[in-house]
Amino acid sequence: MYVMYKRLQQLRRGIALPAPGVPGSLALRHVDCGSCNGCEHELANAAAPHYDFGRYGLSMVASPRHADVLLITGTVTRRMAGPLLAAYEAMPEPRLVAALGNCALGVDVIANPDELAGPAEDLLPVDIRIPGCPPSPSEIVEALLDAMPLLRRPIRKDEA
Amino acid sequence: MTGQIAIEDVEPGDWRSAVGAAIQAGGQFDCLYAVPAGHDPVVRLVMRDGVGVRVLSTVAVASRTDSIVDLLPAAEWDEREAHDVHRVHFDGHEPMRALVGHPADRDAWITPVEGPDVHEVAVGPIHAGVIESGHFRFHVVGERILHLDLRLFYKHRDLEGVAAGLDLARGVAVAQRSCAPCAVANSLACATAIESLMGLEPDEDLRRGRTILLELERLYNHLHDLSALCSGVGFDPGAMTFAALKERAQRLNLRVAGHRFLFDTIRTGGGTTVLDQATAHEAGGELASIVREAGEAWRTLTFMESVQDRLGGIGILDRDQALRRGAVGPTARASGIRTDARAGSPAGLWYPGLEPARPDRPAGDVAARAGVRAVEIEQTGAILGELLARPPCGPGLAVAGRRQAAVGVGRTESPRGATVCCVEAAGGRIARLHLRTASFANWPAVADVVAGAIMPDFPLINKSFELCYACVDR
Ligand code: SF4
Repeated sequence: MYVMYKRLQQLRRGIALPAPGVPGSLALRHVDCGSCNGCEHELANAAAPHYDFGRYGLSMVASPRHADVLLITGTVTRRMAGPLLAAYEAMPEPRLVAALGNCALGVDVIANPDELAGPAEDLLPVDIRIPGCPPSPSEIVEALLDAMPLLRRPIRKDEA
Repeated sequence: MTGQIAIEDVEPGDWRSAVGAAIQAGGQFDCLYAVPAGHDPVVRLVMRDGVGVRVLSTVAVASRTDSIVDLLPAAEWDEREAHDVHRVHFDGHEPMRALVGHPADRDAWITPVEGPDVHEVAVGPIHAGVIESGHFRFHVVGERILHLDLRLFYKHRDLEGVAAGLDLARGVAVAQRSCAPCAVANSLACATAIESLMGLEPDEDLRRGRTILLELERLYNHLHDLSALCSGVGFDPGAMTFAALKERAQRLNLRVAGHRFLFDTIRTGGGTTVLDQATAHEAGGELASIVREAGEAWRTLTFMESVQDRLGGIGILDRDQALRRGAVGPTARASGIRTDARAGSPAGLWYPGLEPARPDRPAGDVAARAGVRAVEIEQTGAILGELLARPPCGPGLAVAGRRQAAVGVGRTESPRGATVCCVEAAGGRIARLHLRTASFANWPAVADVVAGAIMPDFPLINKSFELCYACVDR
C-alpha cells in the first residue's frame, strides 16, 4: 500500500501538470448514443493521473440533474434518441451540449441510416465540438476548458 | 484459426441429428447465423474440432427450422438474434424472448417473476458513470437479486447489414468500427476470414506483426479492467495506478502502431506496421517497465485484505455452467476451463507453445477473474518482449497458398475471449459478414451469476466480466 502511494506521488510529480489557470468548474454528464466505446475510454482516461481533469474543475456527475454539460458520444441511434432527450430535459439551465468525437459530429459514420436518429446536431443545440476518432484526452480537456466561459454570467446584486 | 473449405448441406428434416452427430464427433460450438434468402433463409452452424472448422448449413423452409438450443445451449443468443434480425423461426426454442428487437410489449422480453415482495428495478440505458448504454431489469426481493433480464442493442447500428454488398477489402473497416477496445481482434478475425476465402496465407512478418498488435490490445485492456475492478470496490489508489499504466500502454500503442486504439492497423492481404530496431528496442523497455509495475501493484492488492474480502466468493460462474453457456476468454479460464484461441499456435499468428493461463484459484468468482488477468498481463508481456526483441523485418504480406474457402472463418482471442468472424462472398463482394464477439458469448453468463447476488455487488460482478456493449450491439 505504501509503495503504491509512493509510486502515485512520484508519477504525479513526474507528469507535472500545469496549475489551473482561471478558476471555474463544469459538471459533466455523458450519454453514449451509439459509439464504438473509443470516445468513452478517452473521456475516462481524461480523469486518470496523466490528465487529471478534476484539477481544472471538471467532474463527471451521476445525474443529468447535476450537470452543466451533456457530453454525447456516437451518432445517435434511433433507440438512444428518447433517453438522450430525456437526459437533456432533466438538466437545469444554463446548460451546454458537447458532441464528443467524429461520430457525434456526423463525420465518417458507419451505420445503416435506418437505425439512426442522426448526429447530435439534428436533435439538440450543440455548443461544443470535439473532433477526432477518438479525440485524445488532452483534446477533450482543452475543449471543455475553452467552453467554461460560455456558462459564466455576471452575478446579480441580490445573489451576491 | 482458419481453414474452412466446404459447406456441409443438411436436409431440413435432419438438422438436429446432424448437429447431434457433429457434437458426438467432438465438435465445439463457434457460432450460428442466418443468411437472408427471401422466403427460405439459410442457417449456418460453425463448429470446430481438433482437425479444423466445419460449417453445417440448412434451409429454413418458409423461415422455419428446428432449434438446436437444447443440444447447444451456447447457441441461445445466436438463435434469438437470427430470429429478430432475419425472421427465422426456431421450432422448440420457447419462449423466444426478444434480444435485438425492442418490442414495446413487456411480456415479449421480460421473464415473469412472481412471489411475495418481488419487485423490479430498472437500470439504464444511461448509467451513472462513463459507461456504454444498455438496460438491466432486475427482479429483486429486498436487495437480493432473483433474476436479471438484459436488454442490450441500444447501440445497434446494423453493421452486418452495412457490410453486405461492400467490396471484400472494406469488410475490415466495418468490423473495426464495431468496437474500439476490441478493434484489433475484431478486424483481424474479419481479415483472416476474408483471406481464407481468397486462399491467402500470412507470411512470417505478417504473423509476427499481427501478434504484436493483438497483444498490445490485450495489455491496455487488461490494465483497464483491473483499474475498473479497483474502482468497483472503491479502492482509488489501485484504480489510479492501473489507469496510469493503461495510459502508458496506450501511448505505447501510439508509438508502435500510430494509434492509441490501434485503429487501421489491420488490413486484408498484408500488414501496415513497420517497426525499426530502435523503436522496437525502446518499446520493449517501456513494456517491461509497465508489466513490472503492474505486477507490483497486483501484489499490493493481493495483500490488502479489505480489497480481497470484496472479491472472493461473489459472482461465481462454476465450470459446468461456463461450459454449458460456452463462456470464453479470461471468464472461462477463471472458471477452470483450459481454453484460449491462441493455444495450439493458430496458423496465421505467432504463439509458439502458448498454454491457456491458469489463475491461482480458478473458482469462477470475481477474484479469479481479476487474478487471471494479472497472470495474462505477464504472459502478454513475455510474448511481446520476445517479438519486440526480434521485430518483423517489414509489414508482411498474405500470399496465395491454400485452397479458397466457401465460407471464410476467422477466429481470434480478443481481450475478452474467442471472437469469430464469418464472411461469405458473391462476385467479389461481401454477401454476408457475421461477427460474434467474446462479449456476445459471455453476456448470458453475467445474467446467470447475478441471480442470488445482492444488488450492491452487481456493479462489481459486472466489472469482473468487463464486457463490451458496442461489439454485441454492432
Ligand atoms: S468517433 Fe471514433 S472512437 Fe468515437 S465513437 Fe466514433 S468511431 Fe468510435
